[in-house]
Amino acid sequence: MDLNQRLLLAGTRRHFFSQCAMGLGQMALASLLAEGRMFGADAAKVTNPLAPRKAHFPPKVKSVIYLFMAGGPSQLDLFEHKPKLQQLNGQPTPASFLEGKRFAFMDTFAEDVPKLLGTPRKFARYGKSGKSVSELLPHLAAVVDDLAFVSTVTTDNFNHAPAKIFVNTGSTRFGRPSMGSWVTYGLGTESEDLPGFVVLQSGPRGPRGGALNWGSAFLPTTYQGIPFRSGGDPILNLSSPPGFSHERQGETIRAIRDLNMAHLAEVGDPEISTRISAYEMAYRMQTSGPELIDLSSEAQETLDLYGAVPGAESFANNCLLARRLVERGVRFVQLYHTDWDHHGGAKDNLGEALDMICRETDQPCAALIQDLKRRGLLDETLVVWGGEFGRTPMGEKRDTIGRNHHIDAFTMWFAGGGIKPGQTVGVTDELGFGPVEDKIHMHDIQATLLHQLGLDHTKLTFKFKGRDFRLTDVGGQVIHKLLV
Amino acid sequence: MGPVIELRRLPCAGLLVILFACLGSYSLHAAEDPPKPEAPGAEIVDFARDVEPLFRSRCYTCHGPSKQTNDLRLDEKEAALQGGYSGRVIVPGSSAESKLIQRVASTNDAFRMPPVEPRLTAEEIATLKSWIDQGAKWSANPPVVTQQVAPSKQKRHWSFQPVRRPTAPRVRRQAWLRNPIDAFVLAKLESKGISPAPQADRAILIRRLNLDLLGLPPTPTEVDAFVSDTRPDAYERLVDRLLGSPHYGERWGRHWLDLARYADSDGYNHDAPREIWMYRDWVIGALNRDLPFDQFVIEQIAGDLLPAATKQQIVATGFHRNTLLNLEGGIDFDQYRVEAVVDRVETTGAVFLGLTLGCARCHDHKYDPVSQREFYQFYAFFNSVDELGAEYQLGADGKVGRARAQEPILEFGTAEQLARREASRAQIAVLEEELEEYEKPLRARLAACCETLTDEERSKLKPAILEILKIPPEKRSHFQNVAAEKAVKEMDLGYTERQAGIKALRDIEPKVPTTLVMRELPEPRQAYVHLGGNFLRKGIDVEPGVPAILPPLPESENANRLDLARWLVDAKNPLTPRVTVNRIWQRYFGAGLVETQNDFGTQASPRSHPDLLDWLAAEFIAQGWSLKAMHSLIVNSATYRQSSAYRPELAEMDPTNRLLGRQARLRLEAEIVRDTALAASGLFTPKVGGPSVFPPQPEGVGRLTQVDRHWAAERGADRFRRGMYTYFWRASPHPGLMLFDASDSTKTCTRRNRSNTPLQALTLLNDKAFQEFAQGLATRVLREAPDNNSERVSHAFRVCLGRQPRPTERARLEQFLAVQLDDFLTHPEKARQVVGQDAPEEADIPQLAAWLAVSRVLLNLDEFVTRE
Repeated sequence: MDLNQRLLLAGTRRHFFSQCAMGLGQMALASLLAEGRMFGADAAKVTNPLAPRKAHFPPKVKSVIYLFMAGGPSQLDLFEHKPKLQQLNGQPTPASFLEGKRFAFMDTFAEDVPKLLGTPRKFARYGKSGKSVSELLPHLAAVVDDLAFVSTVTTDNFNHAPAKIFVNTGSTRFGRPSMGSWVTYGLGTESEDLPGFVVLQSGPRGPRGGALNWGSAFLPTTYQGIPFRSGGDPILNLSSPPGFSHERQGETIRAIRDLNMAHLAEVGDPEISTRISAYEMAYRMQTSGPELIDLSSEAQETLDLYGAVPGAESFANNCLLARRLVERGVRFVQLYHTDWDHHGGAKDNLGEALDMICRETDQPCAALIQDLKRRGLLDETLVVWGGEFGRTPMGEKRDTIGRNHHIDAFTMWFAGGGIKPGQTVGVTDELGFGPVEDKIHMHDIQATLLHQLGLDHTKLTFKFKGRDFRLTDVGGQVIHKLLV
Repeated sequence: MGPVIELRRLPCAGLLVILFACLGSYSLHAAEDPPKPEAPGAEIVDFARDVEPLFRSRCYTCHGPSKQTNDLRLDEKEAALQGGYSGRVIVPGSSAESKLIQRVASTNDAFRMPPVEPRLTAEEIATLKSWIDQGAKWSANPPVVTQQVAPSKQKRHWSFQPVRRPTAPRVRRQAWLRNPIDAFVLAKLESKGISPAPQADRAILIRRLNLDLLGLPPTPTEVDAFVSDTRPDAYERLVDRLLGSPHYGERWGRHWLDLARYADSDGYNHDAPREIWMYRDWVIGALNRDLPFDQFVIEQIAGDLLPAATKQQIVATGFHRNTLLNLEGGIDFDQYRVEAVVDRVETTGAVFLGLTLGCARCHDHKYDPVSQREFYQFYAFFNSVDELGAEYQLGADGKVGRARAQEPILEFGTAEQLARREASRAQIAVLEEELEEYEKPLRARLAACCETLTDEERSKLKPAILEILKIPPEKRSHFQNVAAEKAVKEMDLGYTERQAGIKALRDIEPKVPTTLVMRELPEPRQAYVHLGGNFLRKGIDVEPGVPAILPPLPESENANRLDLARWLVDAKNPLTPRVTVNRIWQRYFGAGLVETQNDFGTQASPRSHPDLLDWLAAEFIAQGWSLKAMHSLIVNSATYRQSSAYRPELAEMDPTNRLLGRQARLRLEAEIVRDTALAASGLFTPKVGGPSVFPPQPEGVGRLTQVDRHWAAERGADRFRRGMYTYFWRASPHPGLMLFDASDSTKTCTRRNRSNTPLQALTLLNDKAFQEFAQGLATRVLREAPDNNSERVSHAFRVCLGRQPRPTERARLEQFLAVQLDDFLTHPEKARQVVGQDAPEEADIPQLAAWLAVSRVLLNLDEFVTRE
């Protein structure tokens, strides 16, 4: 008999004897045993598609927390200090930087040669590593020695929706599975009563492309990302309907199970056993879900560390929730925070708008690192911070001067198990247009993320339409410089 | 930018090889290593002696008789002079213009040819240069290349061979056979010593047929009528009745809409609403009237090009307008137009031909005989649609008008509606002209900068605007001008009043239904090979055409979409009929005779019953491409009528039931899960067609996308429509659909997953819609069944599952009922909570609540969401 099957049956039987008031379940089970329908060597396998699976090689981390800064944060106002750019502020951009390049919003450039834009933000060096960080991120500056930066990330598309899809699926076209789906497909999840891939959202609006960013495409639907909310029902339909107390819900689920058991005895389809266990997990989720999002059980000191307020919907709450999720064995947590798209319009300027989003995210990001670390979770978690692209070293004239989308060099940071902290991989030219050392492609980031989980990105494949597909398409190299 | 980076930019497989091999496709690098002028008095180079050996040893592997990477072949004079996808590589008399020299002499590792060490030596390069400068002459008697081209195994692949009509094999158990299908299946079973499963019970059979043909369960009355119908052809009569139902078109229409990637929004950033439900209704109608499949295809691919096309035939072309549309700011419209055209090629390939044509977008197909040139020839059929592309300019406001962005569309309005709208538009035009006159002095003020503003006016303007007005107009950016103009105009009361008047008129303008359709440009767009799949890297021009491995187009000159459509369903096309019958088969048995339903190429999975596949394909054509005839044939077979009960004794020999020694148990599709519960609830609104609707959905779904689309749940009959009519936002689809594996509608979906997850359990248990269904079912049972629990349990069971409960099941349900009723009688306030405030006054609340709880159990059973 298959091991999974044995476990499932044993679990179900325990459940029967402990909770079933009525004899029918036992009768059904007895008849199954007597007929040998479930136990023959020929019975098809009963497997939980989310059961933990062995990695390709020993993993460095168990879980990933991906902080997706939607819109494209300006690396030049946060991390990339470029004195030369300051010096040439307002000067026309040298033609050599523009030739052969395409940018979004070409029409705003068409009027005259775009001018270089220095940052008004003050930079200083922090930590032993001496990483330069702008005044916008005081909290993060305090933990730079726990982070590893990559300042030369490049990507393939300069429009939001396709660029987000690219980060998430390795293709700018819809129809490929997302990172989190690949990971749970490859590894399953450690949590028995929570989904393997959870998505959280904060900010004024959701990410462009919506659900397609965490879809499973041609992978089994079990692996799609499940949105959690930090207020109300954390998962859609998690609460029982009015009048259905926990007890009544339990009675209902037991009745469903007994009737499913009876039918299983008739038709013998193992799929029915899978459904029985799905209902049991759903019932457990109804308890574990509310418990999960109830931040009031956290110490005040912890809440203060993040700036979290129980019941609120914020990036701070989501960061704390992310820690609670990985603590409970959830494999992949992705947080979206909008909106970093600072073109220079009245509401998306590099002034107050950038100030505000930095205030919303700076403290929680730093708190997440500190909190994971002090709980001994940082070693088994990979934290990733980044957007779908960065922003141009030249200004874009709108209501104010902002920055356009830039795909040739932007910054991401990493922390956690197997990451060599306190370093910056990659060097950009003195104006910050492109890499001069260690050009890192988004496929390299994806390959590295999988690598830390013990997955070889060239081997994590799924056959579809006659071809083996993978997250990194046909590219990707693990960034060994980034790793211990 | 280094070429290594460029390499990674390219989207698809095998690029490394291709880019290395892509001779001369990289004009940027041409200047890198300019060829030196030919030294005077150079020796005469002899092709056979000096050049051919070099070609042979270093180039023919990829550009020779057996392989022509990027369509370049150097061993034949004509082919070599013609060049490859990037155009000519040898320009006789000018080595400087010859890409061949640029590539072999390049210092760039990724660009240089040959891609493997050693490089050509300086002398070898000099020889090639001299040869080209001397006119690139071939020898009169070039040495014969001895390597023979082996007849390609690809070309002998079964799916490219004509469809045969095999005779049904002989079997021992003749009595089991109902039609030729059974002979093919039984022969295979007998060869393995397996007997078929017994026929399923009649109650199961009618539920199976109902769910397969209509997606709705039978009523208890219908079940009784069938079970007690003793006529020998009772089953056949049932099949005929179901095939005549208007719900048949819905059931099979939804399958088709998966292929068509139909949705109600346009995808990408804004995921704006779009109106194309008339295409959905066209599909339903066409299936209901059994429009022959060949015509069904022709109208969808090219209905607009048919002579004297009817409006409905044009509506049908919505098939290929279900492509996504990107209207994000800062995009290159042509980039996304190209994506849409590529999607049409891929969809056409997968849906009709079962070919992964998309694999040849960036390079020749790795497995199938489809070259990159052929991909773009196919692309050329769909490249001239008059839709948003490079030729569209941004409007003054920096946006493309929404109406225009959707074009081409077809409008449907009554004459009266259209007349009213015309009148309204004429009136608006007059007012707009007036407004323009009125604006002139305001514009003049803008031009005159800040000085002319009065203090009062200044006080009305925001500081940011005042700042802009300080800048001379010609120095303001586009955005600044737009912002300033708006602010200055809106300061003026006369302007805002006039503007509001126009808006009010617009708001009351009669809205007429529209639908997206295909329309050709007056002048076709020239198609070209996109080198490396990148539309900015233009290769050679191509004209519309079909892959050479398949039968040719009857008229290859100036072929258009209509020629392609007719070719797809030509009786000689070996793929379309096979692919189509296989997909029908898959819907009935869970998997096709070819399991890779979207890939009939050389990577296809082996056929389980090759002769049956061909026989069905031949029969399909012989039946005049009638889909209903094929449905009738399959569901009338003994193979289909088998019991689906698991057979442990076959588990080892045939774990996935490829031999069909039983029927399959199939979890119902997302929409049908809803429809089945809806039907059981008695709340069902059977209306067919019309605009998409908004049944209840949990709150907060739209929050996870850029634009949170307002979702106001229907309050009337539309609240209870079939799942296929639920409005589908691509970026935030109804979660009840997605959790049960509906297609995300971004790409053609030829087969859905069937997952089995806790989130499905939560939906069926707790979703508001399912609560309403449970309450409907409870009300119905109390109303319809005699006043005793045993009869009521039977009735509820029969409504949901089409059969009587077994004694153990009855006992368990009655026990559950008793516990619930007891509790609700003791605590009537809990009962009230369960049934809500809307329960009818006269209802016995504790009874209703207890039966609601029972109904909820039934709607959650595995059997309820399964076609047995």
